[in-house]
Amino acid sequence: MMMSVIALHAVWSRDSRLCVWGEDSRLPARAPKRRGRRPAKPRPRAHPFASALEDLGEGLDALGVSLGSDAQIERELSLMLPSFEDGPQHSPQLLRGGEDRRTDNPELLHPWVVPAIGLGPAAALELLLALPPSPPAGVGLGDSLRFLAEAGKLALELVARGRVLPGLARRDEGWVACWRPVTVDPGDAERVRLLVAAMPPLARAELSVNEEGNAPEAVVGDALGGVVDACARGFLADGLPGRAPRRRSKRPRVVVDAWLAALTHPDPVVDADELQLAALAEELEVWRRAGERYADHRMFRTCFRLCEPDGPVGWPGGELQAAPGGGNGANPQPDSPAAEGSASDVAPWRVEILLQAKDDPSVLVPAGDVWSSNGSGLKALGRRIADPQERLLGGLGHALRLWPELEPALRESAPTGLDLTPEAVIGFLRDAAPALEQAGFGVLAPPWWSQRLRLKLKMEPFEELQEGSGLFGLEGLCAYEWRIAVGEATLTLSELRELAALKLPLVMARGRWIVLRPEDVEAAIAFFESRAERGEAPAGELLRESLDLGAGAETELPVAEIEAGGWLKELLGTNGDRKLREVPSPATFKGELRPYQQRGLAWLSFLSSLGLGACLADDMGLGKTVQLLALLLAEREDGRNGSEKRCPPTLLICPMSVAGNWQREAERFAPDLRVHVHHGPERLTGTKFARASRASDLVITTYALATRDRETLGAVKWERVALDEAQNIKTIDAKQTRAIRSLGARHRVALTGTPVENRLTELHSIMDFLNPGLLGPAATFKRSYARPIERYRDEHATARLRRATGPFILRRLKTDREIITDLPEKIEMRVDCHLTKEQASLYQAVVEEMLEKAAQAEGIERSGVILAALMKLKQVCNHPAHLLKDRSGLDGRSGKLARLEEILAEALAEGDRVLCFTQFAEFGQMLRAHLQERLGREVMFLHGGTPKTARDEMVEQFQDGGGPSVFILSLKAGGTGLNLTAANHVVHFDRWWNPAVEDQATDRAFRIGQKKNVQVRKLTCMGTLEERIDALITQKKDLAERIVGTGEAWITELDTAQLRELVTLSADAVGE
Amino acid sequence: MTSFSYYSHHEHPRPLAVEGGIEARSRRGAIGETWWSRRFIELLESFGVGSRLKRGRNYARAGQVIELEIEPGVVLAKVQGSRYSPYRVRIRGKVLSEYQWRRIEKAMAAQALALAKLLAGDMPHDVEELFAACKLTLFPRSKRELTTSCTCPDAENPCKHVAAAYYILAERFDEDPFLIFAWRGRDQDELVERLRARRAAGGRGGGSSARSARVPQPSEPGPPLSAVLESFWSSGPELDAVHVSPLAGEAPDALLRQLGPAPVEAGGRNLAELLAPAYATLAQAAERRALAE
Repeated sequence: MMMSVIALHAVWSRDSRLCVWGEDSRLPARAPKRRGRRPAKPRPRAHPFASALEDLGEGLDALGVSLGSDAQIERELSLMLPSFEDGPQHSPQLLRGGEDRRTDNPELLHPWVVPAIGLGPAAALELLLALPPSPPAGVGLGDSLRFLAEAGKLALELVARGRVLPGLARRDEGWVACWRPVTVDPGDAERVRLLVAAMPPLARAELSVNEEGNAPEAVVGDALGGVVDACARGFLADGLPGRAPRRRSKRPRVVVDAWLAALTHPDPVVDADELQLAALAEELEVWRRAGERYADHRMFRTCFRLCEPDGPVGWPGGELQAAPGGGNGANPQPDSPAAEGSASDVAPWRVEILLQAKDDPSVLVPAGDVWSSNGSGLKALGRRIADPQERLLGGLGHALRLWPELEPALRESAPTGLDLTPEAVIGFLRDAAPALEQAGFGVLAPPWWSQRLRLKLKMEPFEELQEGSGLFGLEGLCAYEWRIAVGEATLTLSELRELAALKLPLVMARGRWIVLRPEDVEAAIAFFESRAERGEAPAGELLRESLDLGAGAETELPVAEIEAGGWLKELLGTNGDRKLREVPSPATFKGELRPYQQRGLAWLSFLSSLGLGACLADDMGLGKTVQLLALLLAEREDGRNGSEKRCPPTLLICPMSVAGNWQREAERFAPDLRVHVHHGPERLTGTKFARASRASDLVITTYALATRDRETLGAVKWERVALDEAQNIKTIDAKQTRAIRSLGARHRVALTGTPVENRLTELHSIMDFLNPGLLGPAATFKRSYARPIERYRDEHATARLRRATGPFILRRLKTDREIITDLPEKIEMRVDCHLTKEQASLYQAVVEEMLEKAAQAEGIERSGVILAALMKLKQVCNHPAHLLKDRSGLDGRSGKLARLEEILAEALAEGDRVLCFTQFAEFGQMLRAHLQERLGREVMFLHGGTPKTARDEMVEQFQDGGGPSVFILSLKAGGTGLNLTAANHVVHFDRWWNPAVEDQATDRAFRIGQKKNVQVRKLTCMGTLEERIDALITQKKDLAERIVGTGEAWITELDTAQLRELVTLSADAVGE
Repeated sequence: MTSFSYYSHHEHPRPLAVEGGIEARSRRGAIGETWWSRRFIELLESFGVGSRLKRGRNYARAGQVIELEIEPGVVLAKVQGSRYSPYRVRIRGKVLSEYQWRRIEKAMAAQALALAKLLAGDMPHDVEELFAACKLTLFPRSKRELTTSCTCPDAENPCKHVAAAYYILAERFDEDPFLIFAWRGRDQDELVERLRARRAAGGRGGGSSARSARVPQPSEPGPPLSAVLESFWSSGPELDAVHVSPLAGEAPDALLRQLGPAPVEAGGRNLAELLAPAYATLAQAAERRALAE
């Protein structure tokens, strides 16, 4: 089946609907030819490759958006699109291959009619919020959707912040009550401006009176207005709070009541007297305009700065003490010396008045300077303020409405500030400051104002980690102590109680101001009601508790800090400051671990000793496999030194395509490990399997079998379950994930180069496999982490997630020079591929034909038969379509191709560039067309027939960094002479039996100018002649050089028996 | 536009309809939203003009006032009546003397409050007190301080045309309280500058205008699509700079407070007060929606 390739786009139409339409690469690129000359004002024509409505629905389903059918209507949309004479241009998101991919620039703007799904504003918001950060395969997301998603989220924010006003408007359907966005605040106005500037032209391309596009401001305004109205109306569906719900059937006597009722009703139309409605509309408009009066776009704004009294020096009283003057009335002990003494001795609190630059809040001009300035202008840090005095006065006049207590200060001729009592300070900070800030004033509060009460956990493990297999881990007891943290200071519960007893909102403790919000104090006291302040508990329990808190209910205090001692400190530390006990390279490890791999081993070993799941997420090519193998060896050497107890086996689950690789890497680097492969129709079951497993160190199986043979696998007591390419369990409730999670093991490891492919929930699924329950249930994770981070790029949530997962993830990047100091180098690996069933039967047929013919022929004829058959076998290994040349589709028919696609996807995700060599020009062409479609990007292909100028252009484009990232070259044409150092991946799709030729080709990328490690992969089909010749070359290098040096001719000299041995398909060749 | 009339054709010929005239915003009830413009209307009403007042109000609402200019001491207006050419209305008030103005300015400069409120579009009650302290009044005190005239054949003065101009004038005062000062002889620029000079005690006067023109910005049409074919499908880099955080604000009703009382009431409560709890509901619901599935 061809991949379904749909690119989704949207416009916000004038009737306030989100109209989603799409392009489909399966449809023809060109419209039927039009007869005659192009008319001056062309009529809209049917878009030749617009998605059909059912495919649009499928595309939305693929995004995980399920919309009720009542929310959508089907409609036709006329769009002005960039076009060629014979059809519209396709968007960059549409995956088009081959001849249909056009790179020339369109010159026309032509109207096209597309089918669209029209969503009302509420359903539209649902879709816009649900858009994934990166779309699933087969669906492209146009920028128009991403753009409208930002507009939709901004509209929702405006509602959340109360920046909306009810209005009354005359529309086609009559008078309608509506909620409108208010974007006069500088921050809001700026974001609207950014949206207008960022708008993709497509978003304005709905055909209207003006063929040259709708006004961008109007489009943004319509989208914001539509979403704001739908949200406010929906949220108030129960009517305005505090007002009895009104029956709509009865026409209210008073026009205002009719309007108010329509504001919260699904039907916005207001049925009332025309003239009265017109009058009400105007009154509302006047009211709304009052908000705009202050919104100006000049550079400076009025700003209020709260200043503390000159400090607590020399205050009477002890460590803990109420704010000065606060004792009056509120203090239960009005005669206490602390309260009485401080009232008169200390300078009062003061709010200073200033002008503040809007673009640089640090540029502040005190009011005193403004009053003494030349009235018409003032210079501050190189900026000129026009009419500074009136600017300031006007601001103060507006501020009065939000903060009436300001008035006494304005009785002066040139006010510079206002003195406040501590009660007034709290009133200012709690009520006036947020309102002033919302209204666009600058408010500068001392840092302690935003410091809420937090919890701090101190943990000290009783026992140090023991050498060897002393495994207590998270079960181990810790001494713990909970404290209340405020900024830098910490308080005990009794100290907090003492302060709270003063019943003052602002207190002084340990020389700093502390704001005691009643809700915080209550939460703190409630926290300790269920817990002892100090005690002993298992480390895991404490950690889980500290991670859960703060992500949970709003009424709980979050944990700000965990101070840990001993091994816990190492666990909770970050990569940089972690000092782990070094684990020496195992003596039985064949090879050398690089320094970062040594550290990886130490880290894995540390977490293993605690029984904590570990996710090794190093970039691909950094050797995750060898680090795990080294861990297995290390713990076995440990076991030998210490107790006689043998370490139980580790179960490794990996994709079928890399199982062989694991087996070989284990043979190569850890030949001492006893490896059992659980795979194939002959695989062991029941007790036989259990016995074989117990006699092994490493049992390798595949994801498919982990599900199918769950019972068999579950019967064994595993030391460890390790997952390679752990993104295979990214869906937490998938059958496969559940099967794997249910396997019992003392320790769990996940290896992956891409812990998050599309969604953060994938990380949750992997983490939940590693350390069940630590990140909480999936629903909580979505609410506390995934949505705030994915939808709104929430930095706090990001930091919290990093803290929660940091101890269990080790990720090093290739690009990090600190990690890998000996760059660049060449990392060569053979990548084993399987034949598909189709390939295997074709292969078998070619072999049989060859053996039969070769037996009957002699001399040159025999050589010819063999060489022709070898060629065919290589073609089969590449792809059935390569042999058949029947122009059939390539997808899913070749093990090599599937592997290549995986390699490319991973490399491209890293932003890397790839060279792919093949010795067959005709196959290169097929590969290019297929990959372009599959990857959705341009792929270049250079072969013997490419003219010199085109060749130079391709190389330049590739090296330049802006061009395509995948470059296919025929071995003969591209194997020498070119400089392609922009690539750091080289894939040899088919094998050339002379390593020197392959090396030469590899050196296109691995040469002077290369700044990264170069990974070289040679795709080899297992169980075929490719594997056997490779084995010949690597195992008997000298012989290989001798025999292979002359090309392939030596094969023709083998006798039939040898030939049979070389080419016969072995049983393990075929994948599942 | 629906035309409406409360009177019969015999007594009062229908005025010629005007397109693009200055229509009173208020459609019913009293014209004048603020205490200061109401004070002004009350003055007119005290003249005992009876039914002409009502007709004048209807004229104002129908947009019969074509032009209205405020100059020191006189307001000039053109009002379309039943004749082809509009009538000219003059409303003369007393201009304060230079000496009187200096007294006012001195008092106003002594505290920032009055000008601060004026610049924010409010007319502080303090201004009246301030005038009173100088033994002056901001508004004409009585009929004697006002002379009105109209070129209509009506024998009665003030006629309905004068009344219409009065209503429009009151609305102007609503929009910009400085206009009352201008009518009395000091326009905003001059007043602001003189206060500035007093405040800076010895500071140099002069400089640019303090009036901030509120120019409505028409919607930009945007670049023609045919000129942006190359970037047709792509959003600009500005999109990454748009950060959105739909958490409930700390003061969800701040906008209502900023706007002040609305000129609309329902069930005896002001709209702003009535809506405030709804804003808290909106804030909570929006935050929930933002993080929901």
